[in-house]
Amino acid sequence: MTQLRPDMFDEAAVRLDGVSLRYDSTEETLSGIDLVLKPGSFSFLTGASGAGKSSLLKLLYLAQPPSQGEVSLFGRPTSRLSRDELSAMRRRVGVVFQEFRLLNHLTTYENVALPLRVMGRKEIQYRRDVEELLRWVGLGERLHKRPETLSGGEQQRVAIARAVVTQPNLLIADEPTGNVDPDMAARLMRLFYELNKRLGTTVVIATHDLGLIRQIDAPVYRLADGMLVQENGEVAPTARRRTDPLRAMP
Amino acid sequence: MKPRENSLLPLEDAREAALFFVVGALCFLAALAALSAKSTYGAARAWTAEVEGEYTVSLSGADATAADEAARLLAGLDGVITARAFSDAEINALLEPNFGKSGLPADLPVPRLIAVTGAADAEDLGARISTALHDAGHSAAVDAHAEWAGDVRHMLSISRIAALSIVALLSATAIAVIAFATHAALLARRDIVDVLHVAGAKDRFIAGLFERRFWLLGLRAGTVGALVALASVAVLIALGRSGTERSGLLPQLSLDFPDLAVLVVTPVIAGLAARLAAGITVMRSLRSVM
Repeated sequence: MTQLRPDMFDEAAVRLDGVSLRYDSTEETLSGIDLVLKPGSFSFLTGASGAGKSSLLKLLYLAQPPSQGEVSLFGRPTSRLSRDELSAMRRRVGVVFQEFRLLNHLTTYENVALPLRVMGRKEIQYRRDVEELLRWVGLGERLHKRPETLSGGEQQRVAIARAVVTQPNLLIADEPTGNVDPDMAARLMRLFYELNKRLGTTVVIATHDLGLIRQIDAPVYRLADGMLVQENGEVAPTARRRTDPLRAMP
Repeated sequence: MKPRENSLLPLEDAREAALFFVVGALCFLAALAALSAKSTYGAARAWTAEVEGEYTVSLSGADATAADEAARLLAGLDGVITARAFSDAEINALLEPNFGKSGLPADLPVPRLIAVTGAADAEDLGARISTALHDAGHSAAVDAHAEWAGDVRHMLSISRIAALSIVALLSATAIAVIAFATHAALLARRDIVDVLHVAGAKDRFIAGLFERRFWLLGLRAGTVGALVALASVAVLIALGRSGTERSGLLPQLSLDFPDLAVLVVTPVIAGLAARLAAGITVMRSLRSVM
């Protein structure tokens, strides 16, 4: 289990300084973005389709370098990291993709265990944790099923389990509840919330589900025309008043 | 019992089956070319060793008696192992392709021939034979077979270079094909590579997956190619031995330890080449992403 260290709170978990992104010679997808997310924070990212949410997330999970500016994770400017250091940094980031990106030739269990295998862990070390996590997301009976035999909601839960199995310092989720029913959506949000509160995981959720945003008292960042603005209290006024954001959850 | 964990790369698909066939065929041709090069070299060595030290002496204006006397003279020279004058029947047999079975016209002056075998280390034997016959009053021409052997050796060395070039070309082709196939496999499995990449897999880790996959593919395809080459050589040997006559100039096919070593090494080289091509291709491809 990841231990919280005092120094984790000394520096921003995510820091974007004047970040712009341009693909080839097209218009800028992201323009001059400044953002600081403290360790252990919970944030929503929203915006219309095509506003650049996925592009911004790509910068955060280090799949894409910015065209301009600097992306720093856990106090380290990523532009100065070697390839091996970038890999090590990615291991501290869990990602839930909108389209799941599960590997169809692997079982549910193997998909969730994949990041641990990448980290060089032995199966004997992680088997129980992976099985327990899958039971927790309601897939205890589906351990050895292939993703293609699972429903969309089940696949989404596998993707989430895979993202959190390493107990990452930063969890990035792109529309994580898009394919599940409201009950499961609330349950998954509880998982994110617990990771955030219990382990201090910094969570960034990209969504345009206002209902989801209202469930948790958290800053909301909106992307529009490649610019990022914070919308505290405007989008989710009811959430501001809650003391227990999970009270309404099943 | 818990199922065994699957490889992070999916099982082979049709593309890899096609690649398996291509690599196997290239290994078959490479093994066959290597065996041919080795056989040709062996045959050339055997043949040149055989003719080394052999001379044919032509005596002009001499009869059978004079030829026998000259042969006895040459047999006494230092370094000469045997010297034997050809009989009329042997000379007629040699000339039969030109003059037919009816034999030679009686008035046609035909030189008498003497076959001389000298010791391999005999120095300047051709010149000494010529001098001895001249001193004895014979008009003679001495033909050293080793001079012909030099030409044959030269020709065979060119054949050997050609065979080795073919082996090198086939190897390079195999590497290029594997590199191309690896690139295609990488594109086809971009989703897997992306997931591994985002999960924090180092380039070496991802390259290692492809290297293991293509090492095994090269090894298995190379083994099949080498086995087919072995079977082909065995068939050629069997066909060669069933013939009634053998030409000393043709390479004699056989399977000895070095031949088997070639067949054993072929799949290993194929596997290593495949591993190398896959590793380089994947690393280069990964370097193009963050």
